[in-house]
Amino acid sequence: MFDNKGQIRIIEAFLAISVMFSVLVLNVPMSSTPDLERQGTLKKLGTQVLIKLDNNGTLGKLIESGNWTALRQAMNLFLPACVFYNLTVYDENMQRVNAQEVSNSNQEGSEAIVIQYLCATQSSDTHFYTIKLQLAWPK
Amino acid sequence: MPASSIDTFLACSIMIVLVLSAIVSTSNTMRPSMNELLHRNDAERFQQLAQYLLLNKGAPINWGSLRDVVPDSLGLADSASSQPYQLDIDKVSRLNSQNIYSLSYSQLWQSFGVSDVSFRIEIKTLFNLSTTLISTTNGVNESTYQFEVYAEKSGAPVLARLHSYIVVQDYINSFASVTSSNGHSSILVTIPNSLNGTAILLTFAKAESNPQIVAYDVYTFSHNSSEPLPNRTFTKLNPLNYILNVTFTYPSEEILKTLVFTYNYNFSLIEKSRNAQTAEYYIPRLLDASPMLLVITGINQSSSFAEWSSYPQVPLETGADFDKLDNGAKTVSFSHIVTINSALYEIVTKWSGAESP
Repeated sequence: MFDNKGQIRIIEAFLAISVMFSVLVLNVPMSSTPDLERQGTLKKLGTQVLIKLDNNGTLGKLIESGNWTALRQAMNLFLPACVFYNLTVYDENMQRVNAQEVSNSNQEGSEAIVIQYLCATQSSDTHFYTIKLQLAWPK
Repeated sequence: MPASSIDTFLACSIMIVLVLSAIVSTSNTMRPSMNELLHRNDAERFQQLAQYLLLNKGAPINWGSLRDVVPDSLGLADSASSQPYQLDIDKVSRLNSQNIYSLSYSQLWQSFGVSDVSFRIEIKTLFNLSTTLISTTNGVNESTYQFEVYAEKSGAPVLARLHSYIVVQDYINSFASVTSSNGHSSILVTIPNSLNGTAILLTFAKAESNPQIVAYDVYTFSHNSSEPLPNRTFTKLNPLNYILNVTFTYPSEEILKTLVFTYNYNFSLIEKSRNAQTAEYYIPRLLDASPMLLVITGINQSSSFAEWSSYPQVPLETGADFDKLDNGAKTVSFSHIVTINSALYEIVTKWSGAESP
């Protein structure tokens, strides 16, 4: 019948294959790193939307008047429906200005990014606001 | 054969089978990641190409307004503007196949000059407007039509200010309203019964949140006459370089009115030239942040018609049909907000590494 040396070699074979499979298992988390391409697309889109919204002073006017509903509506029109966003406005002292949520979802998204944008109002007494726009793709 | 040799043979066989299967499964698992790595630069490259298309003026820089010129280099940016993402009204109009001066995809692809890339361009307003005829009331001297207008984006209602115009033969009237929180608005239109023929209801909508975001809708219906024929049955309207070229389908057509409408203004167009088959009219350079709607009314063999075109001619779609491409190449799309004559639009460009058209 089989001797002990043979059994050891079979155990060796299983050990070797377990090493192989462990490599495979480790490979899975590697492939789930953030998708930089999709993040880059979101960053460019978000920046362009804020610039376009600020182009004719609309962004500053909406913040000054506290018209968060209109700001939310403008963001809904500018951004594709498949993009989640959450916008927060801070004043010069980094105190949150928007009393209402300016967002289109409370769901958790993926490949989230944050854009910081400085907005200056076009009124006679210029105010500066820092806008943090979080964007994410649906999971 | 000694028992230890059989053990060794069995162990080696199992090891070889397991190693081979591990290699195969590793290869299969890694393939998507490898493909992703190979094509990662493609997406970056496509993004650069999309920006080049929107930020570059092309050559010659005013190719859009030169009706017979195929550009040496394709770019859609407005040559008179220093602002980024500001597109030329004529370059955009020449992407629409309904314009007789439009460029085919083959011409666009050759002008763009990147041989290993296919692309598609879609331009549309930032939200949609739709019109429905709800009811008709026929009185002795006039008829009243009730319409419902709905403003929405991706199913979500849009708060907007509306400005509508009704045109029948040489009769023009206008109405203003706003959409409610559910995006709907009701419009009552009264037309004298002394008129008959095709009537056109033009509706412009400006978003409450930003006056540069404008959408429009055109609803054609019959007034004291049979059902209207499809648009472009009697004339082909081709706006370019602020001149409206009109091609008549029938030589017997008599033109009553040629008009331009924007959200705030409407004017009669001044005739530049005319013969039996074609006519040309000057289009005014209006500063209103709004697309222009060009309307022509006329009579052909006692039946009255009314036809229209927009300037810039959006919405439009041109380029490769990616549904028919079956080369397994990755398709990437990019959305940008662009300005055309002070109004904002969405442009979606789709890109793929694929063969020539």
